[in-house]
Amino acid sequence: MLIDEMKYITPEISLLCFALLIVVVDLFVTRKGVLPILSVIGALVAAFFTVGLWGNGGISAFNNMIAIDQFGLFFKLLILASLVLVVMASNKYVLKFEKFQGEYYAVLMLSAIGLMLLVSAVNLITIYVSLELSSISLYALVSFLKDKASSEAGLKYLILGAVASAILLYGMALTFGLTGSTGLTAIADYFRTSSTASPLLLTGLVLIIAGFGFKIASVPFQLWVPDVYEGAPTPITAYLSVASKAAGFAVITRILMTAFGQPDWLHAEWAIIIAVLAALTMTVGNVTALVQTNIKRLFGYSSIAQAGYLMVGLAAMGMATQGNADIRSGIIFFLFSYTLTNLGAFIAIIAISNKIDSDQIADYTGMGKRSPLLAGALTLFLVSLTGLPPTAGLIAKIYIFNGAVDQGLLWLVVIAVINSVISAFYYFRVVKVMWMGEPASQDKVTSSWPEWTALAVCCIMVVIIGVAPGAFVGLTQAAVKMFGI
Amino acid sequence: MPTIVPWLIFLLPFASFLLIGLILRPFLNKWPRVAGYVTIGAVGLACALAFWVLFAVMGAPEHKLMVDDIQWAIIGNLNIHIGVLVDALTAVMVVVVTFVSLMVQIYSQGYMKGDPGYQRYYAFMSLFTACMLGLVLANNILFMFVFWEGVGLGSYLLIGFWFHKPSAANAAKKAFIVTRAGDFGFLAAILLLYASTGTFDTQTLYNLVATGALAGTTLTWVAIGIFAGAAGKSAQFPLHVWLPDAMEGPTPVSSLIHAATMVAAGVFLVARFYPLFQHSAEAMTTVAVIGAFTAIFAASMGLVMNDIKRVLAYSTISQLGYMMLGLGVGSVAIGIFHLFTHAFFKCLLFLGSGSVNHGTGTFDMRLMGGLRKAMPWTYATFVIGSLSLAGIWPLAGFWSKDQILVAAFANNPVLFTLAIVTVFMTAFYMFRAVFMTFHGEYKGGAVPEHGSHDEHSHGPHESPAVMVAPMVVLTVMAVCAGWFNVTGGFSQLLGSEAEGTNLVASFLGVFMHPLPLASLIVALLGIFLAYAMYLKKWISPEKIGNALKPIYTLLYRKYFMDELYENVFVKTILYNGIFKAMAMFDSSIVDGTVNGVANTTAGAGGVLRKIQNGQTQLYVISIAIGAIAIAICVYLFH
Amino acid sequence: MMFSVGLDHYLILSAILFCIGLVGVITQRNVIKLIMCLEIMLNAVNITLIAFSQYITPTLLTGQIFAIFVMVVAAAEVAVGIAIVFSIYRSRESVDMENFNILKW
Repeated sequence: MLIDEMKYITPEISLLCFALLIVVVDLFVTRKGVLPILSVIGALVAAFFTVGLWGNGGISAFNNMIAIDQFGLFFKLLILASLVLVVMASNKYVLKFEKFQGEYYAVLMLSAIGLMLLVSAVNLITIYVSLELSSISLYALVSFLKDKASSEAGLKYLILGAVASAILLYGMALTFGLTGSTGLTAIADYFRTSSTASPLLLTGLVLIIAGFGFKIASVPFQLWVPDVYEGAPTPITAYLSVASKAAGFAVITRILMTAFGQPDWLHAEWAIIIAVLAALTMTVGNVTALVQTNIKRLFGYSSIAQAGYLMVGLAAMGMATQGNADIRSGIIFFLFSYTLTNLGAFIAIIAISNKIDSDQIADYTGMGKRSPLLAGALTLFLVSLTGLPPTAGLIAKIYIFNGAVDQGLLWLVVIAVINSVISAFYYFRVVKVMWMGEPASQDKVTSSWPEWTALAVCCIMVVIIGVAPGAFVGLTQAAVKMFGI
Repeated sequence: MPTIVPWLIFLLPFASFLLIGLILRPFLNKWPRVAGYVTIGAVGLACALAFWVLFAVMGAPEHKLMVDDIQWAIIGNLNIHIGVLVDALTAVMVVVVTFVSLMVQIYSQGYMKGDPGYQRYYAFMSLFTACMLGLVLANNILFMFVFWEGVGLGSYLLIGFWFHKPSAANAAKKAFIVTRAGDFGFLAAILLLYASTGTFDTQTLYNLVATGALAGTTLTWVAIGIFAGAAGKSAQFPLHVWLPDAMEGPTPVSSLIHAATMVAAGVFLVARFYPLFQHSAEAMTTVAVIGAFTAIFAASMGLVMNDIKRVLAYSTISQLGYMMLGLGVGSVAIGIFHLFTHAFFKCLLFLGSGSVNHGTGTFDMRLMGGLRKAMPWTYATFVIGSLSLAGIWPLAGFWSKDQILVAAFANNPVLFTLAIVTVFMTAFYMFRAVFMTFHGEYKGGAVPEHGSHDEHSHGPHESPAVMVAPMVVLTVMAVCAGWFNVTGGFSQLLGSEAEGTNLVASFLGVFMHPLPLASLIVALLGIFLAYAMYLKKWISPEKIGNALKPIYTLLYRKYFMDELYENVFVKTILYNGIFKAMAMFDSSIVDGTVNGVANTTAGAGGVLRKIQNGQTQLYVISIAIGAIAIAICVYLFH
Repeated sequence: MMFSVGLDHYLILSAILFCIGLVGVITQRNVIKLIMCLEIMLNAVNITLIAFSQYITPTLLTGQIFAIFVMVVAAAEVAVGIAIVFSIYRSRESVDMENFNILKW
């Protein structure tokens, strides 16, 4: 029964209720401090429901529209975790748009709902609709500051996002037309009986990859990233760089594995496309990051580079026959560690920029003296992004690269390792500026307790994953279970 | 014994380092003394566990405990595990390291009292100890190298602890750079090992050597490389120059460095890879020759030094030479036994010199004298330590040195001669130090510029109990440590044949043999000469010094080794020769390449960012062309 | 022979429309016109969807339903888009795409 299946989307429904509640409460209360608390409670309630669904692995609801599987549930939790952390990090930043705090939190939660539906969608229609739900919310959030940079970023994101989604939609339409179905498993059934694909169907596949390539910031669809990251409110940049990217990778993994995962000729086809794009993506991201002077922009390019490493995993997944679960868990692990690391770095950046009101790397000079804890935390995250011990970033890279080498992608891994070395230059430039230089001002940089809490969570997790990854590897191995395969 | 015990021995000091560094120093700055208690607690507990491990090893078959590796992570099909190797060598080393470290930490409570860097000091000491323990426990040469470098880092931080003193900062740098030279050899050996065997695991390497899979020239080069690393850390000729300068650090640090951690690391490394050395006659000869030469070479410089810590420093180098000689001509047991006994009396002597410094404010022996009455405890312990170092029956040093002499005698007369002459010199310079420091008239003490960190307006005085107590404990060990091997128990533990069985017979039996008797007489002669020259003044040291002016100058200027390094090596060869050639090579080829690559990369960044010109519609074009290009490629290659 | 309109014609029509929309997005300076071109792209896809639905799965309404969803989404997208254009117009007094390039490099 349809009504019975409602229980499978209780996380989204509860989050939606809280989003609406926040809009209403915002009308009546003057103490806006209650709004972030409500958002965090909403996210925790949704997380509670999500955990409750963990046991129902591998089923679908609403006539194969939504899948309930560990893969989707894991990403829902990841999205909710980043939502909570971003809300905590926003607590001081929202004072910049005092009148619209309620809308800010509500729209942020709506975008989270979109992403949560996206990672569990198993039908092209639901994928498209939930993608747009999250994207449209994010367009609004990116232009939330309403100043020149922010609205320009919003407009760029909207236009480019709309073009990308039109391309994606065209790909979906072609796939639907030639396979006769929009369900991912039904598309897989079609391929199982065919030995070759018409050029039109391949075009559909290419357009789908292009459409999601925009979302995950793959070359040549990545040009929006630095501009939007720079212009957007910093907490939204953080959110874009982790939740939106994680969901993008989750959904492309699901589509490629479920719909285009069999037979062998088909997955070899997209694997090589993605391998080449991966090499380009990480190289362009890292090389361009070398010459950046704005920290948000630097992180924009850095996130492109990280997407490149993740695509190495996607390519390896395509090279493997029968969908190697280890490689998929590597991708999940990388996303998990990357989410915590990048989010932590952004929280530190938010805390620093709240005080110094600048995103220029030069203004970070001597931050080690002005706030050793913030500078120390940021250093830890940069070390993790570079992929050095004792942090999560190292394990994540080993995990993905090891899988890729096993699948004969040694050339790609060599490029990735060279890229990691290049990346050390710009990550450590920030570290050097923070610790070596003399500060321009002796003012201490402090922060609010929600920011400290969020930062501490990220720091501890990054180190724990780096030192004792066993339990987390186990978790990501449980999270590979995907509906339909 | 639970598996966790060996791990805890390493983890406790490491946790203490983290606790002090991350929590106590930032947040509990008001109570600096907590840091000291934390370190002492951690090291003390580790010491207790170390004894547990030692007793467990003594009871275990083949004196080896099987400790399962800890599964660190299974990442995909990659199984990463880390483990510890607990054999007799490890057990002895952890006991020595934790025990000596514990004594030094307790002593430092008094010595470092009131120092502004008190917490930093204890944090570094914890780290230093933890790295040494990690090195000793690791079962994998790669991890050993990591901890090896960690020990180097710890010594750098501690020698340069008073970094505002230029001499301290320079000494730290010198220690770091000179030992690094040896580390290149070690690293090269590791790479060569991995290239030829494909493993880093110590036990596997033993097996490979035993089966003959690893042999010949490769083995020799690996052994020489490892020895180069060991020579750097253990201050063997010609990489010894850093150790005498290393005393710019606080005296307890010198004590730890000289007794149990830094310099012992080199000897330990050779002992750990002893099976590799045993299968290469060339490597063994190298170890023995370098060891014997270093022993006499350093001892000769010790004869003329006026700084009490320098005398001790050269004596350490000399004794390390003995250990290497013992390894080279004898066995693991002989070398490590001397390391074991030496750790106690050398630590004691350094603590004694620190105590003297505490009382007088100087390290210059010419400004001391007559301290016997003012500092009775320090005097008594120092004399016992000196007797032990000189090798007087039945103190610890006698037993271990005797074994080395016996082994050298059996091996090669030249090496034996060098060793026995060194015995004479050792006895002489130690009692020269004793007589100059503690006997005669007090000559005034402190000269403001050197080493003192305390105000000393009043006369010499005994150190507080917290400093004397560790010295007394160490004195007991300096007396008794040798007895563990009187019946060969220690040697047996480390895999050698046991000789005697009857304790009393062996104890007195040494007088039946000519060799121990000879060494004893030589040592007594040395002491007598010192007595004659510095106490009774029958022979004037000045006259001898003037008569043998060139030799005296040669020794006093340390064979001009520093000048040699500075002028010939650094200025002429390195600077004018190699560096200039390198600079040419560098600027024209390497620089060209590196700059080229760097410029190209940055240039590429500059070009790529230009694509990002802010025009949205250009980005749309990129998306469109990108999609079309991918589609075309797919058609072409389909 | 009778000329009849088949699936191919619809597909070609939609492909041409899609390209027109894309070229419009690339060339139009005026933001409002640009957003209209985006709508053309989406509607081109709608034609494809409905044509496929009619010819490939005549018994099912999947394509038509998809098209309705696309329309709804497009309407929402335009609403947000126009709001952002308002916001940017307030700060820049311009709707010319060429002026929106302070974020670059």
